[in-house]
Order: sequence, then C-alpha cells, then structure tokens
Amino acid sequence: MLVIVVENAPPRLRGRLAVWLLEIRAGVYVGKYSRRIREMIWKQVQTGIDEGNAVIVWSTNTEAGFDFETLGPNRRIPLELDGVKLVSFLPLPASQESLEVEDEKM
Amino acid sequence: MEPILPPLKPIPIKDRISVLFVEKGQLDVLDGAFVLVDKNGVRTHIPVGGVACLMLEPGTRVSHAAAVLASRVGCLLVWVGEAGVRLYSAGQPGGARADRLLYQARLALDDAARLKVVRKMYTLRFKEEPPAKRSVEQLRGIEGARVRKMYDLIARQYRVSWKSRKYDSSEWGSGDIPNRCLSSATACLYGICEAAILAAGYAPAVGFIHTGKPQSFVYDIADIFKFETVVPVAFRIASRHPAQPERDVRLACRDMFRQTRLLHRIIPTIEEVLAAGEISIPKAHEEAVEVAIPNKEELGDAGHRG
Repeated sequence: MLVIVVENAPPRLRGRLAVWLLEIRAGVYVGKYSRRIREMIWKQVQTGIDEGNAVIVWSTNTEAGFDFETLGPNRRIPLELDGVKLVSFLPLPASQESLEVEDEKM
Repeated sequence: MEPILPPLKPIPIKDRISVLFVEKGQLDVLDGAFVLVDKNGVRTHIPVGGVACLMLEPGTRVSHAAAVLASRVGCLLVWVGEAGVRLYSAGQPGGARADRLLYQARLALDDAARLKVVRKMYTLRFKEEPPAKRSVEQLRGIEGARVRKMYDLIARQYRVSWKSRKYDSSEWGSGDIPNRCLSSATACLYGICEAAILAAGYAPAVGFIHTGKPQSFVYDIADIFKFETVVPVAFRIASRHPAQPERDVRLACRDMFRQTRLLHRIIPTIEEVLAAGEISIPKAHEEAVEVAIPNKEELGDAGHRG
C-alpha cells in the first residue's frame, strides 16, 4: 500500500500523480506498487513540488508496519524514537501566537 | 447536537508495537490525543493505544488526564531511571480478573503444581526436559550454571570479553559495556512482559522460580525468552563498541521482538506454562453474588479493564 498526500502542489504534478495513483480526495493519492516504482514516483514529486509540500507513506516490514518520508515545509516534522517514527507538530511562529500563549499562562 | 464518540477500549497486546521511550517533556491530553509537549511548545502525538508499554525516562512529567487515557487504552506506563533502571509503574492497573489471580495463587501455593510449572518454564527455555525428580531448589542450581555457560558462549560467539553478569542498579554507567547493553535490553523485555502479564489478568508479584519481588512473575516469564531474544542482541551491539549503547540496543531489540513475533507469543506462553500445573481455573463459589451488569465481550485481552 502506498499513499501520497500533497498540499499546495502545482496542477501538473497532481495530474502526473494521477497517472499511476488514484486521487481519492483532493491531494490524496493511493496505490500499491513495488519499491522501485515508489521511488520513481517520489522522484517525480521531488522534482515537481515547487513551493508545496508532500508526504509519502508505504507499508513495510517495520514494527509499525509502515514508513514515511516528507518533503517541503510543514509544521509537522518526522521524529524518530529508537526505531519508531512519530510526528512533531511545531507551534505557530511567535509573532502569530505570542498573545494567545501569554493569555494561557495567566 | 455534536455526535459523541464511542468510549475507548484497549486492543490486544499482540496488535501493538512493543515499547516507546520518551524523555523530556510534559505528557498531556490535547483534543483527546496523548501528546508529549516540549519546552518550545512542539507537540508530538504518541499513539498510546497502539503501544504495549511506554517507558518514561527522567525529564518527563505526566498529567492526570494523560494517566487516565493510558489506563483507558491499557498502555503500561513505566517510569525508568537512566538505562532502564525501574522506578515505578502504573497506568494499566492489574488484578482485573479474580479467577486468574486465584488460579495463579493456587498454582504457586501447591508444591506439586509449582514444580510442574517450573519444569515447563525450563523446558521452554532450554528446549529440553530438565532432569526428572529434582526439586525447584535443585533445578535452580542447574539453571544458574547453565545460564553462566550461555553467557560465556554467546559472548565468545560475538567476540566480546565477558567476565560475569554484574551491575550496580543504583549507579548507571558503573558496569562494562556488555553489562550495560544487557541491562538496557532486559529493561525493554521486562516492560513488555509485565504489560502482557497484566493484560492477561495475572499478578506480576506471584512468581514460581523468582519470589519476593514486585516483578517476580515478570522475571520468570522474561527468562523464557531472554536468551533467544535480548541476550544475543545485547552482545552483538556490545561487540561493535557503540557510541550510544542504549539507543542501538533498543533499536536492535525492537527488530528482534518483531522477528520473533514476541508480542504474539507472550500471552499464549503464559497460559501454556500455567496449564502445565494441571489445575483448572476455579469456578465462582455458589453463594457468590452474580454480576448485576453482564461483562461485555471486549476487543482487548482478558485482563484489560476496558
């Protein structure tokens, strides 16, 4: 199983992904391919993503049963904990959140 | 009106990942999810419902809501010191099944039954029947010599210089590298064994070979798997002179647990070992008050409170 999710991707990349994968929701692509095909498709995403960001998930033989890779700027950053991958969610930059945070601390 | 989600239920131990170690940060619940928040406000979701046990290293704080959520989904929280020296554990209350506890206690109290259970443990562990007509005491002596030989053998196999299993539980870093790797690896194994024992509805303190410790039964069960799983892993890592022994050991243990399908095997092995005592699970006594609200068939293991 292979899932690719793109955000803010140029239409030509989205069209390209639809060549191999099924777009089940806006920017969400699924399919089932071998490792070589997966790497070929991910190369295309890396080349064509521009300002956008993308994530690819595939099932594999890890303890979690899957692995993933990300591309482009996003508030969610992969975090590895002794062999298990989790995701860290960054807070908004200080300029946008400082007031809210100050309120919470009161 | 907003739709309300159904209540949380634990899932079986075998469907989970084995252990997760977390350090530094506040464990809390945000929007119903279990999160680790660090001092910069970075949130990391931890899928507690899919983890058998969560090891909390120094530098973590746990909120009340987080402990409640861990307990609802049956994730064992283990507070560990540096290198997995245990401090305390909770988060998955044991003793949910009186019938199993009475069964375990009867097996441990009956000398003939206990000997059968101990023999079964050694059979599973050394892959052959122990010599007949020996007492538990004699078997323990035979086992001790055999274990020392196995350590020597595995150390030689991985070309590690090995003196003996020696460690000071109060002072981490005092032991040599192989001993440190072993301590780290066994800590992982003890964590999942305790989670499995609690999930199956038994008591970690009621041991058969080991006694007198809060985790006696955990050591009994862990010993069955120790030499096939974590000991070779620990020596293999030690032979590479690792810069970060703990991290490397945990990574390798995780692989080993997956390869040996350990989480699928622990609970059936516990049942098999106890069944060797040839006593049946006790029925409720006749004058017992019947349950007012019948227990529902749950997704989780027998000892999960659901």
